[in-house]
Amino acid sequence: MKRLLYALLLVVSASLFTVQAKAQVIVIANPGVKASDVSKNDLKDVFTGASTSLSGGTVVPVLAKAGPAHEEFLQAYIGKNDAAYRAGWRSLVFSGQATMPKSVDGDAAVVEFVAHNAGAIGYIGKASAHDGVKVLSVK
Amino acid sequence: MKRLLVGAMALALGAIPATAQSLEDLNIQIHGYATQGFLYTTNNNIFTTSSSDGSPEWTEAVLNVGAQPTPKLHVGVQARYFLLGNFGDAITLDWAAADYKFNDKFGVRFGKVKTPSGLFNETQDIDPSYMWSLLPQGIYPITSRNSLLAHYGGVAYGTLNLQRAGKLDYRGWSGEREIEGNDGYWVSFAESGITLPNGVSGLLNGGALHWKTPLSGLMLGSSLARYNSYSAPAVDTYVVPAGPSKGLTITTPGSFAIGHETVPDFFGRYDKNKVMFAAEYNRTAGLLTLEGISPAPDPYNLRAWFAMGSYKISDKFSAGAYVSQYFDKAATLGPSRYSKDWAISGRYDFNQYLYAKAEQHFIEGTAIGYDANLNPGGLNPNTKLTVLKMGVSF
Repeated sequence: MKRLLYALLLVVSASLFTVQAKAQVIVIANPGVKASDVSKNDLKDVFTGASTSLSGGTVVPVLAKAGPAHEEFLQAYIGKNDAAYRAGWRSLVFSGQATMPKSVDGDAAVVEFVAHNAGAIGYIGKASAHDGVKVLSVK
Repeated sequence: MKRLLVGAMALALGAIPATAQSLEDLNIQIHGYATQGFLYTTNNNIFTTSSSDGSPEWTEAVLNVGAQPTPKLHVGVQARYFLLGNFGDAITLDWAAADYKFNDKFGVRFGKVKTPSGLFNETQDIDPSYMWSLLPQGIYPITSRNSLLAHYGGVAYGTLNLQRAGKLDYRGWSGEREIEGNDGYWVSFAESGITLPNGVSGLLNGGALHWKTPLSGLMLGSSLARYNSYSAPAVDTYVVPAGPSKGLTITTPGSFAIGHETVPDFFGRYDKNKVMFAAEYNRTAGLLTLEGISPAPDPYNLRAWFAMGSYKISDKFSAGAYVSQYFDKAATLGPSRYSKDWAISGRYDFNQYLYAKAEQHFIEGTAIGYDANLNPGGLNPNTKLTVLKMGVSF
Protein backbone atom coordinates (compact mmCIF):
# COMPACT_ATOMS: atom_id res chain seq x y z
CA MET A 1 0.00 0.00 0.00
CA LYS A 2 2.82 2.38 0.91
CA ARG A 3 4.61 1.60 -2.39
CA LEU A 4 1.42 2.29 -4.28
CA LEU A 5 1.07 5.63 -2.54
CA TYR A 6 4.68 6.56 -3.27
CA ALA A 7 4.21 5.58 -6.91
CA LEU A 8 1.04 7.67 -7.11
CA LEU A 9 2.82 10.62 -5.53
CA LEU A 10 5.63 10.26 -8.08
CA VAL A 11 3.20 10.23 -11.00
CA VAL A 12 1.32 13.28 -9.72
CA SER A 13 4.56 15.16 -9.05
CA ALA A 14 5.95 14.29 -12.48
CA SER A 15 2.84 15.63 -14.21
CA LEU A 16 3.29 18.99 -12.51
CA PHE A 17 6.78 19.66 -13.79
CA THR A 18 7.74 20.73 -17.32
CA VAL A 19 10.07 18.37 -19.12
CA GLN A 20 13.10 20.03 -20.70
CA ALA A 21 13.53 19.22 -24.43
CA LYS A 22 16.84 18.92 -26.29
CA ALA A 23 17.69 22.27 -27.95
CA GLN A 24 17.44 21.26 -31.63
CA VAL A 25 15.41 24.37 -32.43
CA ILE A 26 16.65 27.94 -32.46
CA VAL A 27 14.74 31.21 -32.20
CA ILE A 28 15.39 33.76 -34.94
CA ALA A 29 14.37 37.38 -35.34
CA ASN A 30 14.50 40.16 -37.87
CA PRO A 31 17.80 42.07 -37.56
CA GLY A 32 15.82 45.15 -36.55
CA VAL A 33 14.54 43.49 -33.37
CA LYS A 34 16.32 45.09 -30.41
CA ALA A 35 16.49 42.01 -28.21
CA SER A 36 19.49 39.69 -28.44
CA ASP A 37 18.16 37.19 -25.95
CA VAL A 38 14.77 36.27 -24.57
CA SER A 39 13.54 34.50 -21.46
CA LYS A 40 11.38 31.38 -21.80
CA ASN A 41 8.46 33.19 -20.19
CA ASP A 42 8.74 36.17 -22.56
CA LEU A 43 9.07 33.83 -25.54
CA LYS A 44 5.95 31.95 -24.47
CA ASP A 45 4.08 35.21 -23.97
CA VAL A 46 4.92 36.37 -27.51
CA PHE A 47 3.97 33.07 -29.14
CA THR A 48 0.72 32.75 -27.19
CA GLY A 49 -0.41 36.31 -27.85
CA ALA A 50 -0.01 37.47 -24.26
CA SER A 51 2.65 39.97 -25.31
CA THR A 52 3.54 41.82 -28.50
CA SER A 53 6.90 43.24 -27.48
CA LEU A 54 10.47 42.32 -26.59
CA SER A 55 12.92 44.81 -25.09
CA GLY A 56 10.45 47.59 -25.73
CA GLY A 57 10.00 46.86 -29.42
CA THR A 58 6.96 45.38 -31.16
CA VAL A 59 7.44 41.82 -32.39
CA VAL A 60 5.31 39.72 -34.72
CA PRO A 61 5.47 35.92 -34.36
CA VAL A 62 5.47 33.62 -37.37
CA LEU A 63 4.70 29.91 -37.06
CA ALA A 64 5.68 26.84 -39.01
CA LYS A 65 2.64 24.92 -40.21
CA ALA A 66 4.16 21.59 -39.14
CA GLY A 67 7.48 19.76 -38.87
CA PRO A 68 10.00 18.67 -36.25
CA ALA A 69 11.08 22.24 -35.39
CA HIS A 70 7.45 23.22 -34.80
CA GLU A 71 6.76 20.21 -32.59
CA GLU A 72 9.90 20.69 -30.55
CA PHE A 73 9.29 24.43 -30.14
CA LEU A 74 5.77 23.79 -28.84
CA GLN A 75 6.94 21.11 -26.45
CA ALA A 76 9.95 23.03 -25.16
CA TYR A 77 8.53 26.52 -24.85
CA ILE A 78 4.73 26.42 -25.00
CA GLY A 79 3.88 23.14 -23.30
CA LYS A 80 1.03 22.27 -25.67
CA ASN A 81 0.52 20.14 -28.73
CA ASP A 82 -0.33 21.77 -32.06
CA ALA A 83 -4.11 21.37 -31.74
CA ALA A 84 -4.24 22.87 -28.24
CA TYR A 85 -1.84 25.63 -29.25
CA ARG A 86 -3.89 26.73 -32.24
CA ALA A 87 -7.08 26.43 -30.18
CA GLY A 88 -5.56 28.92 -27.73
CA TRP A 89 -4.92 31.36 -30.55
CA ARG A 90 -8.43 30.86 -31.87
CA SER A 91 -9.76 31.89 -28.46
CA LEU A 92 -7.98 35.21 -28.85
CA VAL A 93 -9.24 35.54 -32.41
CA PHE A 94 -12.82 34.79 -31.42
CA SER A 95 -12.50 37.31 -28.58
CA GLY A 96 -11.39 40.00 -31.00
CA GLN A 97 -8.05 40.36 -29.26
CA ALA A 98 -5.72 39.09 -31.97
CA THR A 99 -5.41 37.62 -35.43
CA MET A 100 -3.89 34.20 -35.98
CA PRO A 101 -0.13 34.50 -36.60
CA LYS A 102 1.05 33.78 -40.10
CA SER A 103 1.95 30.13 -40.71
CA VAL A 104 4.45 29.15 -43.39
CA ASP A 105 5.78 25.89 -44.83
CA GLY A 106 9.24 24.89 -43.71
CA ASP A 107 12.30 26.49 -42.18
CA ALA A 108 13.31 28.26 -45.40
CA ALA A 109 9.95 30.04 -45.53
CA VAL A 110 10.25 31.01 -41.85
CA VAL A 111 13.69 32.50 -42.49
CA GLU A 112 12.41 34.32 -45.59
CA PHE A 113 9.50 35.87 -43.65
CA VAL A 114 11.58 36.83 -40.63
CA ALA A 115 14.33 38.37 -42.78
CA HIS A 116 11.94 40.59 -44.70
CA ASN A 117 9.38 41.65 -42.07
CA ALA A 118 10.18 44.18 -39.40
CA GLY A 119 9.69 42.81 -35.92
CA ALA A 120 9.25 39.21 -37.10
CA ILE A 121 10.29 36.41 -34.77
CA GLY A 122 10.19 32.67 -35.53
CA TYR A 123 11.88 29.32 -34.94
CA ILE A 124 13.74 26.84 -37.15
CA GLY A 125 15.81 23.70 -36.86
CA LYS A 126 19.28 24.27 -35.52
CA ALA A 127 20.91 22.94 -38.67
CA SER A 128 18.86 25.07 -41.09
CA ALA A 129 20.43 27.96 -42.92
CA HIS A 130 19.46 31.33 -41.49
CA ASP A 131 21.12 34.07 -43.49
CA GLY A 132 19.71 37.53 -43.03
CA VAL A 133 18.29 36.97 -39.53
CA LYS A 134 19.66 37.13 -36.01
CA VAL A 135 19.55 34.27 -33.50
CA LEU A 136 18.10 35.00 -30.08
CA SER A 137 19.47 32.99 -27.18
CA VAL A 138 16.81 31.65 -24.86
CA LYS A 139 17.66 32.00 -21.19
CA MET B 1 -24.43 55.79 -28.49
CA LYS B 2 -24.83 52.74 -30.70
CA ARG B 3 -25.01 54.76 -33.92
CA LEU B 4 -21.96 56.78 -32.90
CA LEU B 5 -19.93 53.64 -32.32
CA VAL B 6 -21.09 51.92 -35.49
CA GLY B 7 -20.15 55.06 -37.40
CA ALA B 8 -16.73 55.11 -35.79
CA MET B 9 -16.26 51.45 -36.68
CA ALA B 10 -17.20 52.17 -40.28
CA LEU B 11 -14.59 54.93 -40.35
CA ALA B 12 -11.95 52.61 -38.94
CA LEU B 13 -12.78 49.92 -41.50
CA GLY B 14 -12.84 52.48 -44.28
CA ALA B 15 -9.38 53.66 -43.33
CA ILE B 16 -7.93 50.22 -43.88
CA PRO B 17 -7.48 50.47 -47.67
CA ALA B 18 -5.62 53.74 -47.22
CA THR B 19 -3.03 52.07 -45.00
CA ALA B 20 -2.61 48.79 -46.85
CA GLN B 21 -1.20 47.84 -50.22
CA SER B 22 -2.84 44.46 -50.60
CA LEU B 23 -5.29 42.10 -48.93
CA GLU B 24 -2.34 40.04 -47.73
CA ASP B 25 -0.88 43.15 -46.08
CA LEU B 26 -4.15 43.56 -44.21
CA ASN B 27 -3.78 40.03 -42.82
CA ILE B 28 -7.51 39.44 -43.28
CA GLN B 29 -8.60 36.21 -41.68
CA ILE B 30 -11.89 34.39 -41.56
CA HIS B 31 -12.63 31.96 -38.75
CA GLY B 32 -15.72 30.32 -37.45
CA TYR B 33 -17.27 27.42 -35.70
CA ALA B 34 -20.54 25.52 -35.63
CA THR B 35 -21.99 23.24 -32.99
CA GLN B 36 -24.95 20.94 -32.78
CA GLY B 37 -26.16 19.86 -29.37
CA PHE B 38 -28.60 17.33 -27.99
CA LEU B 39 -30.34 17.65 -24.62
CA TYR B 40 -32.10 15.00 -22.59
CA THR B 41 -33.62 15.47 -19.14
CA THR B 42 -35.12 12.87 -16.85
CA ASN B 43 -37.79 15.24 -15.52
CA ASN B 44 -38.34 18.90 -16.35
CA ASN B 45 -38.00 20.32 -19.85
CA ILE B 46 -35.11 22.74 -19.83
CA PHE B 47 -34.15 25.88 -21.79
CA THR B 48 -37.59 25.96 -23.52
CA THR B 49 -36.83 22.67 -25.31
CA SER B 50 -38.71 19.38 -25.16
CA SER B 51 -35.67 17.85 -23.52
CA SER B 52 -37.63 15.20 -21.61
CA ASP B 53 -38.22 13.57 -25.00
CA GLY B 54 -34.67 14.34 -26.19
CA SER B 55 -34.18 17.55 -28.10
CA PRO B 56 -31.75 18.53 -30.85
CA GLU B 57 -32.93 22.17 -30.69
CA TRP B 58 -29.52 23.56 -29.89
CA THR B 59 -27.55 24.88 -32.83
CA GLU B 60 -24.94 27.57 -33.02
CA ALA B 61 -22.78 28.98 -35.79
CA VAL B 62 -20.30 31.81 -35.60
CA LEU B 63 -18.44 33.65 -38.34
CA ASN B 64 -15.53 35.88 -37.45
CA VAL B 65 -13.73 38.23 -39.85
CA GLY B 66 -10.64 40.08 -38.71
CA ALA B 67 -7.90 42.19 -40.18
CA GLN B 68 -4.62 43.53 -38.86
CA PRO B 69 -3.53 46.36 -41.16
CA THR B 70 -0.69 47.34 -38.82
CA PRO B 71 0.99 45.41 -35.98
CA LYS B 72 -0.81 47.60 -33.43
CA LEU B 73 -4.26 47.90 -35.05
CA HIS B 74 -6.74 45.07 -35.21
CA VAL B 75 -10.34 45.29 -36.43
CA GLY B 76 -12.89 42.55 -36.50
CA VAL B 77 -16.51 41.53 -36.44
CA GLN B 78 -18.28 38.39 -35.31
CA ALA B 79 -21.83 37.32 -36.17
CA ARG B 80 -23.69 34.45 -34.64
CA TYR B 81 -26.69 32.27 -35.36
CA PHE B 82 -28.15 30.71 -32.25
CA LEU B 83 -31.08 28.41 -31.66
CA LEU B 84 -31.96 26.95 -28.27
CA GLY B 85 -35.57 25.93 -27.87
CA ASN B 86 -37.58 29.13 -28.23
CA PHE B 87 -34.52 31.36 -27.90
CA GLY B 88 -32.73 32.93 -30.80
CA ASP B 89 -33.32 31.48 -34.27
CA ALA B 90 -31.77 34.67 -35.56
CA ILE B 91 -28.43 36.06 -36.64
CA THR B 92 -27.07 38.62 -34.20
CA LEU B 93 -23.95 40.69 -33.87
CA ASP B 94 -21.67 39.28 -31.17
CA TRP B 95 -19.14 42.06 -31.36
CA ALA B 96 -17.56 44.49 -33.80
CA ALA B 97 -14.52 46.33 -32.61
CA ALA B 98 -11.36 48.19 -33.45
CA ASP B 99 -8.44 47.47 -31.14
CA TYR B 100 -5.29 49.57 -30.94
CA LYS B 101 -2.50 48.28 -28.74
CA PHE B 102 -0.01 51.03 -28.03
CA ASN B 103 2.22 48.60 -26.14
CA ASP B 104 1.86 45.74 -23.65
CA LYS B 105 1.00 48.24 -20.91
CA PHE B 106 -1.86 49.98 -22.66
CA GLY B 107 -4.38 49.29 -25.38
CA VAL B 108 -7.92 50.38 -26.21
CA ARG B 109 -10.82 48.73 -27.91
CA PHE B 110 -14.09 50.33 -28.99
CA GLY B 111 -17.28 49.36 -30.76
CA LYS B 112 -19.48 46.55 -29.59
CA VAL B 113 -16.87 45.00 -27.37
CA LYS B 114 -16.79 41.98 -25.11
CA THR B 115 -17.21 42.86 -21.45
CA PRO B 116 -14.14 41.54 -19.60
CA SER B 117 -15.83 40.73 -16.30
CA GLY B 118 -15.45 37.53 -14.33
CA LEU B 119 -13.43 34.50 -15.35
CA PHE B 120 -15.22 33.37 -18.49
CA ASN B 121 -17.37 36.27 -19.69
CA GLU B 122 -15.06 37.09 -22.62
CA THR B 123 -14.79 33.47 -23.71
CA GLN B 124 -18.21 32.03 -22.84
CA ASP B 125 -19.17 32.24 -26.51
CA ILE B 126 -16.13 30.33 -27.75
CA ASP B 127 -17.32 26.75 -27.46
CA PRO B 128 -14.20 25.29 -29.14
CA SER B 129 -11.95 26.87 -26.48
CA TYR B 130 -13.21 25.05 -23.40
CA MET B 131 -14.12 21.55 -22.34
CA TRP B 132 -17.61 22.10 -20.96
CA SER B 133 -20.82 21.75 -22.92
CA LEU B 134 -22.47 24.20 -20.51
CA LEU B 135 -20.59 26.67 -18.37
CA PRO B 136 -21.95 27.00 -14.80
CA GLN B 137 -25.35 28.48 -15.44
CA GLY B 138 -25.54 30.44 -12.20
CA ILE B 139 -22.94 32.87 -13.52
CA TYR B 140 -23.00 32.23 -17.29
CA PRO B 141 -26.61 31.52 -18.26
CA ILE B 142 -26.70 30.40 -21.85
CA THR B 143 -30.11 31.95 -22.43
CA SER B 144 -28.71 35.40 -21.59
CA ARG B 145 -25.42 35.07 -23.46
CA ASN B 146 -26.31 37.72 -26.02
CA SER B 147 -26.99 40.25 -23.31
CA LEU B 148 -24.03 39.50 -21.05
CA LEU B 149 -21.29 38.97 -23.60
CA ALA B 150 -20.70 42.47 -24.90
CA HIS B 151 -21.58 46.11 -24.55
CA TYR B 152 -21.47 49.16 -26.79
CA GLY B 153 -18.56 51.28 -25.68
CA GLY B 154 -14.92 50.72 -24.97
CA VAL B 155 -12.35 48.78 -23.02
CA ALA B 156 -8.92 49.91 -21.88
CA TYR B 157 -6.47 47.14 -21.05
CA GLY B 158 -2.84 46.35 -20.41
CA THR B 159 -0.31 44.28 -18.53
CA LEU B 160 2.01 45.57 -15.82
CA ASN B 161 5.19 43.69 -15.08
CA LEU B 162 5.51 43.31 -11.33
CA GLN B 163 8.95 41.68 -11.68
CA ARG B 164 9.23 39.04 -8.94
CA ALA B 165 5.58 39.51 -7.99
CA GLY B 166 4.43 38.30 -11.41
CA LYS B 167 2.25 40.24 -13.83
CA LEU B 168 -0.95 42.20 -13.44
CA ASP B 169 -3.48 42.38 -16.26
CA TYR B 170 -5.95 45.22 -15.90
CA ARG B 171 -9.12 46.01 -17.79
CA GLY B 172 -11.56 48.91 -17.50
CA TRP B 173 -14.76 49.29 -19.42
CA SER B 174 -17.63 51.69 -19.94
CA GLY B 175 -20.59 51.95 -22.23
CA GLU B 176 -24.15 50.79 -22.69
CA ARG B 177 -25.62 47.33 -22.24
CA GLU B 178 -28.70 46.12 -24.10
CA ILE B 179 -30.88 43.28 -22.84
CA GLU B 180 -33.26 42.31 -25.59
CA GLY B 181 -36.93 41.65 -25.00
CA ASN B 182 -36.52 37.94 -25.75
CA ASP B 183 -33.60 37.41 -23.38
CA GLY B 184 -33.67 34.50 -20.96
CA TYR B 185 -34.01 36.89 -18.01
CA TRP B 186 -37.57 37.67 -19.05
CA VAL B 187 -38.91 34.12 -19.35
CA SER B 188 -40.64 34.17 -15.96
CA PHE B 189 -42.01 37.65 -16.67
CA ALA B 190 -43.41 36.53 -20.02
CA GLU B 191 -45.13 33.61 -18.37
CA SER B 192 -46.80 36.10 -16.04
CA GLY B 193 -47.96 38.08 -19.07
CA ILE B 194 -45.38 40.84 -18.74
CA THR B 195 -43.29 41.73 -21.77
CA LEU B 196 -40.69 44.36 -22.55
CA PRO B 197 -41.36 45.26 -26.18
CA ASN B 198 -38.06 47.09 -26.62
CA GLY B 199 -35.93 45.21 -24.15
CA VAL B 200 -34.01 47.35 -21.69
CA SER B 201 -30.72 49.19 -21.82
CA GLY B 202 -28.57 51.26 -19.56
CA LEU B 203 -25.09 52.47 -18.80
CA LEU B 204 -22.42 50.28 -17.24
CA ASN B 205 -18.81 50.56 -16.23
CA GLY B 206 -16.37 48.38 -14.40
CA GLY B 207 -12.87 47.12 -13.91
CA ALA B 208 -11.03 43.85 -13.55
CA LEU B 209 -7.61 42.75 -12.32
CA HIS B 210 -5.96 39.44 -13.15
CA TRP B 211 -2.84 38.78 -11.10
CA LYS B 212 -0.57 36.21 -12.72
CA THR B 213 1.23 35.19 -9.60
CA PRO B 214 4.88 34.12 -9.31
CA LEU B 215 3.57 30.55 -8.92
CA SER B 216 3.56 29.44 -12.55
CA GLY B 217 0.04 28.76 -13.80
CA LEU B 218 -1.84 30.44 -10.94
CA MET B 219 -3.99 33.48 -11.63
CA LEU B 220 -6.12 35.25 -9.04
CA GLY B 221 -8.54 37.96 -10.00
CA SER B 222 -11.46 40.14 -9.25
CA SER B 223 -13.84 42.33 -11.17
CA LEU B 224 -16.38 44.92 -10.19
CA ALA B 225 -19.18 45.93 -12.52
CA ARG B 226 -21.58 48.77 -11.88
CA TYR B 227 -24.84 49.19 -13.69
CA ASN B 228 -26.81 52.41 -13.64
CA SER B 229 -30.56 52.33 -13.32
CA TYR B 230 -32.21 50.56 -16.22
CA SER B 231 -35.79 51.29 -17.19
CA ALA B 232 -38.02 50.52 -20.11
CA PRO B 233 -41.71 50.34 -21.08
CA ALA B 234 -43.45 47.12 -20.06
CA VAL B 235 -46.82 45.69 -20.99
CA ASP B 236 -48.90 43.43 -18.80
CA THR B 237 -51.26 41.24 -20.81
CA TYR B 238 -53.94 39.43 -18.83
CA VAL B 239 -56.48 37.05 -20.34
CA VAL B 240 -59.55 36.59 -18.16
CA PRO B 241 -59.64 32.85 -17.42
CA ALA B 242 -63.28 32.39 -16.43
CA GLY B 243 -66.58 34.06 -15.86
CA PRO B 244 -68.66 36.32 -18.08
CA SER B 245 -65.53 37.98 -19.44
CA LYS B 246 -63.65 34.76 -20.10
CA GLY B 247 -61.12 35.21 -22.89
CA LEU B 248 -61.12 38.99 -22.61
CA THR B 249 -57.60 40.38 -22.99
CA ILE B 250 -56.72 43.26 -20.70
CA THR B 251 -53.55 45.16 -21.58
CA THR B 252 -51.93 47.38 -18.99
CA PRO B 253 -48.96 49.57 -19.91
CA GLY B 254 -46.36 50.19 -17.28
CA SER B 255 -42.65 50.49 -16.84
CA PHE B 256 -39.90 48.16 -15.74
CA ALA B 257 -37.01 49.49 -13.69
CA ILE B 258 -33.94 48.10 -11.97
CA GLY B 259 -32.04 50.33 -9.58
CA HIS B 260 -28.28 50.65 -9.43
CA GLU B 261 -26.45 47.32 -9.32
CA THR B 262 -22.92 46.64 -8.20
CA VAL B 263 -21.61 43.17 -9.04
CA PRO B 264 -18.40 42.05 -7.31
CA ASP B 265 -16.77 38.94 -8.69
CA PHE B 266 -13.83 36.92 -7.34
CA PHE B 267 -12.10 34.16 -9.24
CA GLY B 268 -8.98 32.10 -9.58
CA ARG B 269 -7.55 29.63 -12.01
CA TYR B 270 -4.63 27.22 -12.00
CA ASP B 271 -3.34 25.80 -15.30
CA LYS B 272 -0.32 23.55 -15.29
CA ASN B 273 0.49 20.98 -17.89
CA LYS B 274 -2.48 18.64 -17.90
CA VAL B 275 -4.49 19.94 -14.96
CA MET B 276 -6.82 22.89 -14.59
CA PHE B 277 -8.65 24.12 -11.51
CA ALA B 278 -10.87 27.18 -11.36
CA ALA B 279 -13.38 28.77 -9.03
CA GLU B 280 -15.54 31.87 -9.09
CA TYR B 281 -18.02 33.69 -6.88
CA ASN B 282 -20.24 36.64 -7.64
CA ARG B 283 -23.11 38.52 -6.12
CA THR B 284 -25.86 40.64 -7.65
CA ALA B 285 -28.32 42.54 -5.51
CA GLY B 286 -30.92 45.13 -6.38
CA LEU B 287 -34.52 46.16 -6.55
CA LEU B 288 -36.90 45.59 -9.44
CA THR B 289 -40.09 47.58 -9.89
CA LEU B 290 -42.96 47.25 -12.32
CA GLU B 291 -44.70 50.59 -12.10
CA GLY B 292 -48.31 50.52 -13.10
CA ILE B 293 -48.30 46.71 -13.11
CA SER B 294 -47.23 45.44 -9.72
CA PRO B 295 -47.69 47.38 -6.47
CA ALA B 296 -44.67 46.06 -4.59
CA PRO B 297 -41.02 46.33 -5.58
CA ASP B 298 -39.22 43.02 -5.88
CA PRO B 299 -35.81 42.79 -4.21
CA TYR B 300 -33.27 40.23 -5.36
CA ASN B 301 -30.01 39.12 -3.79
CA LEU B 302 -28.33 36.59 -6.05
CA ARG B 303 -25.27 34.59 -5.04
CA ALA B 304 -23.52 32.22 -7.39
CA TRP B 305 -20.31 30.22 -7.27
CA PHE B 306 -18.63 27.25 -8.86
CA ALA B 307 -15.51 25.12 -8.53
CA MET B 308 -14.18 23.04 -11.40
CA GLY B 309 -11.30 20.84 -12.38
CA SER B 310 -10.20 19.05 -15.50
CA TYR B 311 -7.41 16.73 -16.61
CA LYS B 312 -5.98 16.16 -20.08
CA ILE B 313 -5.89 12.37 -20.17
CA SER B 314 -4.34 12.26 -23.65
CA ASP B 315 -3.66 14.62 -26.56
CA LYS B 316 -7.21 14.06 -27.75
CA PHE B 317 -9.25 13.39 -24.60
CA SER B 318 -9.97 15.55 -21.55
CA ALA B 319 -12.30 14.95 -18.62
CA GLY B 320 -13.48 17.09 -15.76
CA ALA B 321 -16.18 17.98 -13.28
CA TYR B 322 -17.68 20.99 -11.61
CA VAL B 323 -20.06 21.87 -8.83
CA SER B 324 -22.02 25.10 -8.95
CA GLN B 325 -24.64 26.79 -6.80
CA TYR B 326 -26.97 29.69 -7.36
CA PHE B 327 -29.55 31.10 -4.99
CA ASP B 328 -31.61 34.20 -4.39
CA LYS B 329 -31.39 35.13 -0.71
CA ALA B 330 -34.35 37.47 -1.12
CA ALA B 331 -36.69 34.82 -2.54
CA THR B 332 -39.12 32.69 -0.58
CA LEU B 333 -37.85 29.32 0.56
CA GLY B 334 -38.31 26.38 -1.78
CA PRO B 335 -36.74 24.75 -4.84
CA SER B 336 -37.44 27.82 -6.99
CA ARG B 337 -35.02 29.81 -4.86
CA TYR B 338 -31.90 27.87 -5.81
CA SER B 339 -30.10 25.68 -8.31
CA LYS B 340 -27.33 23.24 -7.44
CA ASP B 341 -25.57 21.47 -10.25
CA TRP B 342 -23.00 18.68 -10.28
CA ALA B 343 -21.55 18.10 -13.75
CA ILE B 344 -19.21 15.49 -15.15
CA SER B 345 -17.78 16.25 -18.57
CA GLY B 346 -15.61 14.86 -21.32
CA ARG B 347 -14.23 16.21 -24.59
CA TYR B 348 -12.64 14.37 -27.51
CA ASP B 349 -10.68 16.22 -30.20
CA PHE B 350 -10.67 14.21 -33.42
CA ASN B 351 -8.24 16.75 -34.89
CA GLN B 352 -7.68 20.50 -34.65
CA TYR B 353 -11.02 21.16 -36.40
CA LEU B 354 -13.52 18.58 -35.11
CA TYR B 355 -14.49 17.79 -31.53
CA ALA B 356 -17.22 16.15 -29.47
CA LYS B 357 -18.41 16.81 -25.92
CA ALA B 358 -20.52 14.80 -23.50
CA GLU B 359 -21.76 16.03 -20.14
CA GLN B 360 -23.99 14.74 -17.36
CA HIS B 361 -25.64 17.14 -14.93
CA PHE B 362 -27.32 16.38 -11.62
CA ILE B 363 -29.48 19.42 -10.89
CA GLU B 364 -31.33 20.24 -7.68
CA GLY B 365 -33.62 23.26 -7.53
CA THR B 366 -35.56 25.00 -10.25
CA ALA B 367 -34.24 28.56 -10.21
CA ILE B 368 -32.47 28.32 -13.57
CA GLY B 369 -33.45 27.10 -16.98
CA TYR B 370 -37.12 26.17 -16.60
CA ASP B 371 -40.33 27.70 -17.84
CA ALA B 372 -43.93 26.90 -16.92
CA ASN B 373 -45.28 26.68 -20.48
CA LEU B 374 -43.22 23.60 -21.34
CA ASN B 375 -43.67 22.13 -17.85
CA PRO B 376 -47.47 22.38 -17.44
CA GLY B 377 -47.57 19.65 -14.80
CA GLY B 378 -45.26 21.60 -12.53
CA LEU B 379 -41.53 21.35 -11.91
CA ASN B 380 -39.78 18.46 -10.27
CA PRO B 381 -37.16 19.78 -7.82
CA ASN B 382 -34.50 17.39 -9.21
CA THR B 383 -33.48 16.73 -12.80
CA LYS B 384 -30.70 14.91 -14.55
CA LEU B 385 -29.55 16.53 -17.78
CA THR B 386 -27.48 14.77 -20.44
CA VAL B 387 -25.78 16.95 -23.04
CA LEU B 388 -24.10 15.76 -26.22
CA LYS B 389 -22.45 18.16 -28.62
CA MET B 390 -20.45 18.04 -31.83
CA GLY B 391 -18.46 21.00 -33.02
CA VAL B 392 -16.29 22.06 -35.92
CA SER B 393 -14.07 25.12 -35.94
CA PHE B 394 -11.69 26.66 -38.43
